[in-house]
Amino acid sequence: MRKWSLIISSSLLGLGVALSAGATDVALPAGPIHDRHELMEGIGKSAKALGEAAKAGDRAKAATAAASIQESAKKIPDLFPKGSTHPDSRAKPEIWESWDRFMELAKQLEAAAGNVVTVAEGEGELGATTGPLFATCKSCHDDFRVPEE
Amino acid sequence: MCERPALVTTRGLSAGRVAGACGLVLAIAVAPVLAAGDAARGRDLFALAAGCSCHTAPDGPVGAGGGEVPTPFGTFYGTNITPDPETGIGRWSDAEIAAAIREGDARGKGVESPAMPYYQYAGMTDADVADLIAYLRTLPAVRRENRPHEGELPLARSAYRAWRLVFAPAPARPATAPTSGVARGRYLADHVAICTDCHTPRSRLGVPVASRYLAGTADGPGGAAVPNITPHATGIGDWSVDDVVNVLALGMLPNFDNVQGYMAEVVDGRGGGPGYGDAPAADRRAIAEYLMTVPPIDNVVGDE
Repeated sequence: MRKWSLIISSSLLGLGVALSAGATDVALPAGPIHDRHELMEGIGKSAKALGEAAKAGDRAKAATAAASIQESAKKIPDLFPKGSTHPDSRAKPEIWESWDRFMELAKQLEAAAGNVVTVAEGEGELGATTGPLFATCKSCHDDFRVPEE
Repeated sequence: MCERPALVTTRGLSAGRVAGACGLVLAIAVAPVLAAGDAARGRDLFALAAGCSCHTAPDGPVGAGGGEVPTPFGTFYGTNITPDPETGIGRWSDAEIAAAIREGDARGKGVESPAMPYYQYAGMTDADVADLIAYLRTLPAVRRENRPHEGELPLARSAYRAWRLVFAPAPARPATAPTSGVARGRYLADHVAICTDCHTPRSRLGVPVASRYLAGTADGPGGAAVPNITPHATGIGDWSVDDVVNVLALGMLPNFDNVQGYMAEVVDGRGGGPGYGDAPAADRRAIAEYLMTVPPIDNVVGDE
């Protein structure tokens, strides 16, 4: 029985994921749950651009991408109203159980992205700034995001 | 009756079962297949084997067993591979441990289920398996009984023997492991890190589908989606070698997302043990270079 429910639920999730491919996620309810998913996808796009720019030595593009991430980080707290879990949302209830930690990581993201901007606009070693930025993304995901199924 | 030298691991025979004067004479006359290994090199191999994390429960201790291996045939639990004499492998000889890793023969139990990917480790060289065994013997011994397989499988040992007979490919085992480049990458990917164990879809009978090598599946271990890691547009075709290295070293994806679930465990290690992130950097790069050369396969898994 368990095997079948695993197959069925992962098929349905796969279908839901396939339907929601692309920028707009139709499976998520409108409002903060939908908007924060968009925000995270946007951060991902900027981060990808940042990685490519850093590799190419394009400091201007790196600064722009990092600034976008910094702006997005500021919006995080408001997009996680208390208890806004949902079966299709990867936000874990732990977010609200450890809200201080969640807020700390959001601030850390803002700071790390800001640091990339500062270095990109200056003369420093750009490559050394992206590691801490990724580490922040990972810390928050590890504690507060449901693994992809 | 004299068996041919059982120190060369033979299917269905454990060294301990060679009995009588005949076997004793052969045991003295034939040099051991495995020379003593180097535990320091073994630690690198252990890290490249994802810390053998199927043999480690989520909160450790390393190698003490209890790691869940979900399959369509029920849940298996990795065995205790610490040197505990009663519940672990402390009393096993090097040849017996090698037979378990590469041939699917478990001392005192018989043929292993294919949940233990012996048929992939089969390609590991004698020197490498000896090094790995030397390292395993340095793990802190933990007394923990093995957990039995959960699920209905009548005549299990016969089924495992039949599976091995029919489906396990004859090991293509080099005399020495390639030392660098794509060749080393292929050796490590196929026989140590065994990427294919998760990333290649399996048939109903649990046989990896060779024509879909590393193409990923929406229904992988435990029902989780496993990405396509072939260099196709639907896989890692747009990635650089550095991008792949970043996944193996840090679990980092090109958009700064991080892998989670099983992949995170094999990179970060489970229960405090090492993972790919602790392996030699050159070996991670070799694996990444190799992945860029495998046949590209069109297979969309998930939304990315």
